[in-house]
Amino acid sequence: MTPMLTRDELAVALGNAGDGDRAAFRIVYEATSAKLLGVCLRILADRQLAEDVLQDTYLTVWRKASTFDPSRASPITWLVTIARNRSIDRLRSAAPMRRTAPVEDAHDLADGAPLASDVIETTDEVNRLNVCLDTLEDRARSVIRTAFLEGVTYDALAIRENVPLGTMKSWIRRGLLRLRSCLES
Amino acid sequence: MTDLPSDEPGPDDALAGELALRVLSPEEERAARAREASDPAFAAEVEVWNEHLAGFVAEIPPVQPSASVWPRVEAGIAPVAANDNRAGFWRMWALGSTGLLAASLVAVALLATRPTPAPIVQTVPTGGVTRVATIAMTDGGTPVVALAYDSATGNLFIAPTDAMDGASAVPHLWLVRPGEAGVQLIGAIDGSAASHHHLTDVLASTAGQAVAVAISMEAPGHTPAADKPDGPVVATGALQSL
Repeated sequence: MTPMLTRDELAVALGNAGDGDRAAFRIVYEATSAKLLGVCLRILADRQLAEDVLQDTYLTVWRKASTFDPSRASPITWLVTIARNRSIDRLRSAAPMRRTAPVEDAHDLADGAPLASDVIETTDEVNRLNVCLDTLEDRARSVIRTAFLEGVTYDALAIRENVPLGTMKSWIRRGLLRLRSCLES
Repeated sequence: MTDLPSDEPGPDDALAGELALRVLSPEEERAARAREASDPAFAAEVEVWNEHLAGFVAEIPPVQPSASVWPRVEAGIAPVAANDNRAGFWRMWALGSTGLLAASLVAVALLATRPTPAPIVQTVPTGGVTRVATIAMTDGGTPVVALAYDSATGNLFIAPTDAMDGASAVPHLWLVRPGEAGVQLIGAIDGSAASHHHLTDVLASTAGQAVAVAISMEAPGHTPAADKPDGPVVATGALQSL
């Protein structure tokens, strides 16, 4: 059972976990572990590995919870960032080229309607990102999304899309800058 | 790189976003992480990018973890006897196996009761050494090992300032990577005399970027996984660049 928490409730639980409250930490785990495992699994594509990284992620969350600042980050983003970064670290520490799926596969996955977001995610922010992504060129939007969801580097993206590295960097940098100016306007 | 269109972004303009997105090469990422650690404005930019990009997560379906995950997490956050120093980074690694706590305390006692540190200067060559660390007990702060590393040659010099023999467990040396990138095992070390190791390939480059080193006490004959000590971590020290 995953209890539904509001963003504020999750922020409070995370803050209490930062003070050493194990019950609050359990609440954070119950409310977010399914989401975080989804993130790990999307990058690592191996259930066992993803659960190992999930365990590491929550140990990190426990250690770092006292540094969480609700005025600077949303709690779910803070948690997802740790899970995603640890998954990518694990992916890159393993043998290279484990993931060989062409980028088109990611398009297929991503083309489906976004799932209803959890209460703890702020729907407004998701909508804003989607609106701003729509202002990008298709190829930039597509590679930025793939980079985020699969945790792949410029090099890997350039190979997948069969374009020079400099071209890939240019697509993504320009896309990011346009995205930022849209999101911050 | 010539004849760029006027709206072509410079290499630095999107760096915080590139770091958040994790598209940089390992070398570029190391440099960007170092900047993140030293430049609060840049670090704040990275945080803003994390927020911006988090919307993608809405596309990812949640997956309920196996029932076995929480007990493993819970074991990792169990309190340590009367000294629940939950802020201690390395303490958490030590907690993976609470049964080793007793062994840990024995090792700490043996390590901490040794008297005057032996002089170490002559055992550490100065030429080419780029990084140094003093490894001290996590309980009490007694220095136990001096370490020097030459990132150009991969030569690693280790000099115990307090002999670590006597404990039944075997000291193992670890590198702590920056950020949340975890730890990397170097290997068993001689706790009783100065020694010289030669690091190559991944280990050498990890040593060049690691932010700290640490020592875990492992059961004799046991080699832990390269990314996680099984025995208690008893000493740690920041790895400083010269």
